[in-house]
Amino acid sequence: MSANTSRKRTDEEQSGHVDQRASPVRTHFGKKVLPPIPKNATPITKPASMGSAAHSANGTHASYGPFYLEYALLAEFTLVIKQKLPGIYVQPSYKSALMWFGVIFIRHGLYQDGVFKFTVYIPDNYPDGESPKLVFDIPVFHPLVDPVSGELDVRRAFTKWRRNHNHIWQVLMYARTVFYKINTTEPLNPEAAVLYEKDVQLFKSKVVESVKLCNSHLFDQPKIDDPYAISFSPWNPAVHEEAKERMFTFKRRPEEHHKGTQVSGLSWVKPGSTQPFSKEDSPPQS
Amino acid sequence: MMASVVANGNRDGQALVLKGVDPETCLIVFKNHWAQVVKILEKHDPLRSSSTLPSLGVLSISSGSSGGSRFGPIPGDEASAVQNYVEHMLFLLMEEESGQAGAMGPILEFVVMENVMERLFVWSLRREFTDDMKLEQLKMYEMLVGQSRQPLLHHKPILRPLMMLLSSCSGTAAPAVEAELVLLLHQLCCVLAKDPSILELFFHTSEDQGAANFLIFSLLIPFIHREGTVGQQARDALLLIMSLSAENERVALHVAENTYFCPVLATGLSGLYSSLPTKLEVPSEEWHCLHKEEWLRLPSLVQFLNSLEFCNAVIQVAHHTIRDQLVAYIYNGFLLPVLAPALHKLTLEEVMTTTAYLDLFLRSVTEPALLQTFLSFILLHQHEGVYILDTLVSRINTPFQLGTVSLSLFRTLIGFYCEDVMLQLVLKYLIPCNHMMLSQRRVVKERDFYSASAAKILALTPSCCSPDRSPPPLRQLDSILFSKRGETPNNSSNTDQQSSFSEEDDGSGNSCTIGSEIYLDVSYLHYLYDARLSISSCIQACQVWSAPYDGENPPPEKYQPGVLEEPMPDSRQTQAALKRVAQLLVPHRRPSLPPSKEPPSITQLELEWDDSFDACPVQADEAPVDPKPPQPPSSGPPKHIQEMRRSAIMLVKGSYIEENDFQDDVLVYDLIAKKDASEMEQTSDEPSGSSSDEAQPGLAEVSVKNGLSLTLPTTVMADNAKTSLKSKVNGQTHCNGNLQNATNTSDDLLAQYEELIHSLVSETGGKQVIADEEVRKPVTVAEEEEKEEEEEKMDFTPFTAETPEPEKLQSPFGSIQRFRSGSSKGSYALPFTGPFISVLLSRLENMLSNTLHVNLLLTGILAQLAAYPQPLLRSFLLNTNLVFQPTVRSLYQVLATVKNQIEELAACRKDFSELITVAQHWLLARETLFITADKTSSSGSNKHEGGKILKNSLPPKPKAISLDQTEVFATVLFSEFLKELAAIAQEHSILSYIPMEE
Repeated sequence: MSANTSRKRTDEEQSGHVDQRASPVRTHFGKKVLPPIPKNATPITKPASMGSAAHSANGTHASYGPFYLEYALLAEFTLVIKQKLPGIYVQPSYKSALMWFGVIFIRHGLYQDGVFKFTVYIPDNYPDGESPKLVFDIPVFHPLVDPVSGELDVRRAFTKWRRNHNHIWQVLMYARTVFYKINTTEPLNPEAAVLYEKDVQLFKSKVVESVKLCNSHLFDQPKIDDPYAISFSPWNPAVHEEAKERMFTFKRRPEEHHKGTQVSGLSWVKPGSTQPFSKEDSPPQS
Repeated sequence: MMASVVANGNRDGQALVLKGVDPETCLIVFKNHWAQVVKILEKHDPLRSSSTLPSLGVLSISSGSSGGSRFGPIPGDEASAVQNYVEHMLFLLMEEESGQAGAMGPILEFVVMENVMERLFVWSLRREFTDDMKLEQLKMYEMLVGQSRQPLLHHKPILRPLMMLLSSCSGTAAPAVEAELVLLLHQLCCVLAKDPSILELFFHTSEDQGAANFLIFSLLIPFIHREGTVGQQARDALLLIMSLSAENERVALHVAENTYFCPVLATGLSGLYSSLPTKLEVPSEEWHCLHKEEWLRLPSLVQFLNSLEFCNAVIQVAHHTIRDQLVAYIYNGFLLPVLAPALHKLTLEEVMTTTAYLDLFLRSVTEPALLQTFLSFILLHQHEGVYILDTLVSRINTPFQLGTVSLSLFRTLIGFYCEDVMLQLVLKYLIPCNHMMLSQRRVVKERDFYSASAAKILALTPSCCSPDRSPPPLRQLDSILFSKRGETPNNSSNTDQQSSFSEEDDGSGNSCTIGSEIYLDVSYLHYLYDARLSISSCIQACQVWSAPYDGENPPPEKYQPGVLEEPMPDSRQTQAALKRVAQLLVPHRRPSLPPSKEPPSITQLELEWDDSFDACPVQADEAPVDPKPPQPPSSGPPKHIQEMRRSAIMLVKGSYIEENDFQDDVLVYDLIAKKDASEMEQTSDEPSGSSSDEAQPGLAEVSVKNGLSLTLPTTVMADNAKTSLKSKVNGQTHCNGNLQNATNTSDDLLAQYEELIHSLVSETGGKQVIADEEVRKPVTVAEEEEKEEEEEKMDFTPFTAETPEPEKLQSPFGSIQRFRSGSSKGSYALPFTGPFISVLLSRLENMLSNTLHVNLLLTGILAQLAAYPQPLLRSFLLNTNLVFQPTVRSLYQVLATVKNQIEELAACRKDFSELITVAQHWLLARETLFITADKTSSSGSNKHEGGKILKNSLPPKPKAISLDQTEVFATVLFSEFLKELAAIAQEHSILSYIPMEE
């Protein structure tokens, strides 16, 4: 799998080191005030009053609204990382943080060996809107997956999307569960539901067929043209060996990295104590 | 002379000459030369014994030189002949390669056998052992040691005369000799560092001397604090020995036990410190700390810093016994006896200067052990019963340069990411979680998924500063923000300017659908980027901390107030600290201060307050500046009653002045309400300070106590102020109380005081009661703003009308009070977030009257605090959903207060928005200057010398606006600060939750 895994965040973290002790004045004194004038800044010709229309009632400036959304999505993404969902990989698209590409690996059960690519669409009024949509690239044969659009019936699990309670990782988790515990009530694919109830053998063979179909399209170009779209290619040592190497050595890297660019804090507090300089190597006293 | 010739000779040339020559020939030449030399030597030898030279161990230097005089001067031609021969011999020796398997070369062997060096040394002793002679000998050895191709020092016949020479130089004062001596010593140390096996020999040799054990080392010590290259070389040489000591315990023990190295170093600091200017010339009002280009102009300071740097280096490389000893000497020999008193000098300038020095020292020290020493001095040392830290914190609130410099010092302190510092400054007050409602504790760790706090903070942006209002380039409102580079030419020009930022930005999965139709505040991106940097470096730094401070660890139950408090009379200390501040202020009334408008000039008030502090009505001798004539005696009620009345009036007026001061108002209202209530009930309960011994005073009582302490800061500093009461009251004649009665006296005072309050309350009528009730409603975040408005609307005129004392009694002593009532917190169970936070917030509250640079420092410190990842601190500063105890002031509340002030101001001044635009333009120009200067000056290093810009390259003063219009600049800064805080809050919601192994 050669998914485009370069994440901006990690790069930033590694370079994100400032010598803060250099001067008692704010290191970024300047940033405090105002941004510099871009060299060739073309004056904005559109009337500035446009923004004021978006002035919301509580005084929040609409100018910042997109930042809130962006950070809410970032927060969601860090949550996904934290959950370490088995067999699920997602990546926000390059073009929009509201669109995430994903792939799910099914490791046992009826759908064993299935590799299903999908896209998550998050409503732009997140988190106050509907639940995110999850659409499989190829409609998997499944009672809860629309046989035409490939959309998973997310709504049944998240009838109302509740901020602070519902998170995108839960949707992903749900997408995984669906393949291990088949639910046939109110199906989007009645055929699959009926077959599962009446003729499991036929259902099974249909599933196997569907899995085969999906896997046969694995190396296709991504459905959506985006630099961060997940794409698969056959194993090519010239390309993949090095990446694999890096993935396996990655775990050691952070420590080495820490030694180099450490902004080291100080502490002489003995764990469990709240007294300063309570450690053994405490300073001299008069 | 000889040696100089040798030294100047072209070594390579010589080597070339010698190269083809076989060693045999060299040896023969050497022997021939030596034979000639010996001839001359023996001719003048008093003993005339050619073959058996007396052991040098017997020959003392003095006998040698006296011998010289006995036998008369040596003819010059003979002396120069010897020189010539020796010169050639040395060349031969130097150029000789060592034999097989490290054996001596034949010449060296001959030198050792014949004891050549000793005899040469004796020869120079025989002649008059002048400085020139020493110089000559020193140079000779310097050359030999430095350039010889085989190890020489292993051989006693070479080492011993060297040591003799060195010890003979120990007392010399001639600069040339000293320089050469240090050079040689440095060279020897280099050899030692390369080949520690010689070390043993040095010890042995000097044992023969019976004198100091490790001569090389002892000789270097006097040069430790020397200026110029000699000092530098000596320090370098010593450092070589120090790093040697790290592996060689013997050296370490010797240095620590048998030498005065550490005491000399530490006391040297004290000596150098005493020659520093006691008062610094302050270049401008913006000045807040010593920058490099400033201290470089002060030679004494450079010298001090050199020595401090040396201490730092020694601690870094030396054996731990030396390190520990040095650190202890610095603590007990410099910090305690010198720096502590210096921090408590009598005039503002002196104290300010010391503070600036301390700040500079802290910034110069890098070694944790030394830093620890300085920090423990600040955090734990008590000078005359007051923690240095308390004193420093209290000084933040002084309106002069001292306040600014103190802010700068704390900026440095916070920048250490030091748990101990943060614990003492802030965290210990937050650990018990008393500052929030009990039900809120779970919120501490809660994650702000949807930037709710950021939104609330940004919503405080004054309407006059709305990003939608200002024209470009002041605000870059743009919709290109989330689109990709390359798609818009405009964006790529942005990239040039802010390359670092845009590079990071590029490649992020941003949305072109998000915000494509909305104008965005582009500058906010910079804040986000900065926030990201400062938070992530802070998170990384705090990994060494002992606890996460997340409201669970350390457990709040375990550290209730009192447990954390040191067992000491807290309030007394604070009082003393404050008193000192007040004293400092006495001789420094600055007429240049703006005429007292709302927050009036603090000077007078401090004076007043200082008077009342001592519970002494008029201290005529100590307050010569007091314009008020001494009160005629016995014209009215007893003095202490007058005093109380005055204080009471000050209380009322003070609260009037601090009308926005939520906390104080609550206390005052509580107090008044309490009086009302007790009047109704015919006062059955005695809310007196003497109840301090009772286990748990009720909340109402507590607030009364606090209220009283507000009013009568000194005398009735209830509760644990007893100690101070005793000492204070005891001294007063009019109180005629002895130690035993002290508390009774205060009871008495309290009772009378209540009366006074009663009268005031009854005069003002029911209005206050209503207000009071409103205020006492539980504070919910939603209601905050309305309530503040209500408070502002309250009419205080009845009080002011009553006031008999004119202007001069107006006091922002709320600010000091707040601090004071704060730091005596341990005893009251009243929620309190510590004096540091209090002082910062109260200065922030006065943002509109602060100068630009004070506000820059202040907001900088707060932003830095907000970047700390500890949930306790983060939630306290940034979580706008957290519900605090009513008496706790939050950053958000203060910001809301400032916002309201700004809105009022903007409403009543027509030209305000124009002024804002001018100020924005000016700040933008300043900013651009800063960035370009930054680029050119520090292209390679990432050290930002921000002060340089502040000082040197200020843009021309804004035309349409004076810098004195602080409120205008403060308004601009305020709205920028909101963005900064909001950005920090947003980044916290991401960064603090990224799994560490990522």
